[in-house]
Amino acid sequence: MDEAFFVQLAASAAAVAVLVGIAAWAKIARPVGPLDEHKARALLAEEFPARAVDAVWISSDGAGALAKSGGLALVICRVGDGFAARQIPWPQAVSATFRNGRLSIDLSDIAAPRAVIALPAWPPKSFNGDLAA
Amino acid sequence: MIPDPIHAAFDPVAYATPFFILTVILEIVLARFGKADARYEARDTAVSLGMGLGSSVAGVLFGALGFTAVVWVWQNHRIFDIPMTAWWAWIAVFLAEDLTYYWFHRLSHERRVWWLSHVNHHSSQHYNLSTALRQTWTGALNGSWALYVILSLLGFPPAMVAIQKGVSLVYQYWIHTEAIRRMPAWFEAVFNTPSHHRVHHARNPVYLDRNYAGILIVWDRLFGTFQPELDDEPCRYGLVKNLATFNIVRVAFHEWIATAQDIVRHPRHALGYLFGPPGWSHDGSRETSAMIKARAAEAKPATERLDAAA
Repeated sequence: MDEAFFVQLAASAAAVAVLVGIAAWAKIARPVGPLDEHKARALLAEEFPARAVDAVWISSDGAGALAKSGGLALVICRVGDGFAARQIPWPQAVSATFRNGRLSIDLSDIAAPRAVIALPAWPPKSFNGDLAA
Repeated sequence: MIPDPIHAAFDPVAYATPFFILTVILEIVLARFGKADARYEARDTAVSLGMGLGSSVAGVLFGALGFTAVVWVWQNHRIFDIPMTAWWAWIAVFLAEDLTYYWFHRLSHERRVWWLSHVNHHSSQHYNLSTALRQTWTGALNGSWALYVILSLLGFPPAMVAIQKGVSLVYQYWIHTEAIRRMPAWFEAVFNTPSHHRVHHARNPVYLDRNYAGILIVWDRLFGTFQPELDDEPCRYGLVKNLATFNIVRVAFHEWIATAQDIVRHPRHALGYLFGPPGWSHDGSRETSAMIKARAAEAKPATERLDAAA
């Protein structure tokens, strides 16, 4: 690697910084409102079309949701102006760390390490069809 | 003067870099003032551009692997002598490289051992000009250059192939945009376009594993992988399982690590996890693109029947 390569690399890095700055200035991300139950169920149906949802818990900041579907927990979390979804065994969600109103769920996935859902209480005491927090 | 058949006289990508920068700015500014359809999220843009920057470093560090193989085959085993100075040779390399790209790209989606590098390019939930620059850091390491050895075997000088690969990469840059809806019909019929490539980047089941073309979309039409963009099926971009992180190291290596974990956990099925399609699992607990498409195709007629009844 010669000097010209490092000069070019430094110039490219500077250009990247400028472009990211312009992207931040423009504020042209997708408009993503907070999740409500309707939106969460629509997202769950899109991400897990083969799964029936027994109950849904919506993060109080609208940035995520957790659903029970049989023996699985379906997790949705906001990533930038989009969402990512994963499924984990339900007992793994039940035993997730809950502290200061925040449920921190280990998704056991290198590409989606953790989801944080803000909830008033966890774990839930019972499940019925209309349970939604 | 006889051109150097080994080392390319110029790099089309290097020449195009100022154009890349200016057009990203143009796309953002036009979108900012409502003159173009484009969405940018700053952290997503940072990852895309960071991957592009890193890929140029990776090319310098690891590019010699593929280059050495290509040169060795051309010097010792080429079947024909193809002159760089003949006009027909440039037409031939254009077609041969584009066909090679089609198969390289198709295998990069259909075999996990190559997907673990190519996945990076598809990991954004956005589709804009910065997405074009989200390039892998590890392409040289898993032998995804191997198909290009065939061009050396045929007798295309390495410099000629390198220039054509650069031209193809530059061509494929401008099609990463939502700002252009459709090109004229004759152009859409022959060439890869923003519309065709949006389909390729979409995660909707109907769009999965379609439109692998580099420059000429005719290869997809010929080999049965063409899918037009449907007005009633807006593209949703990204991966079947989207990333939940903007950590660029995780973005770059997540599929390598996941593949290694699968092999360590299930060594008897290592070949399946390496050479099977992405989503393959020994116990059927995951879904490949083919399985997702089949499930969606089964569900759709039922949905259509319900709609008709309503």
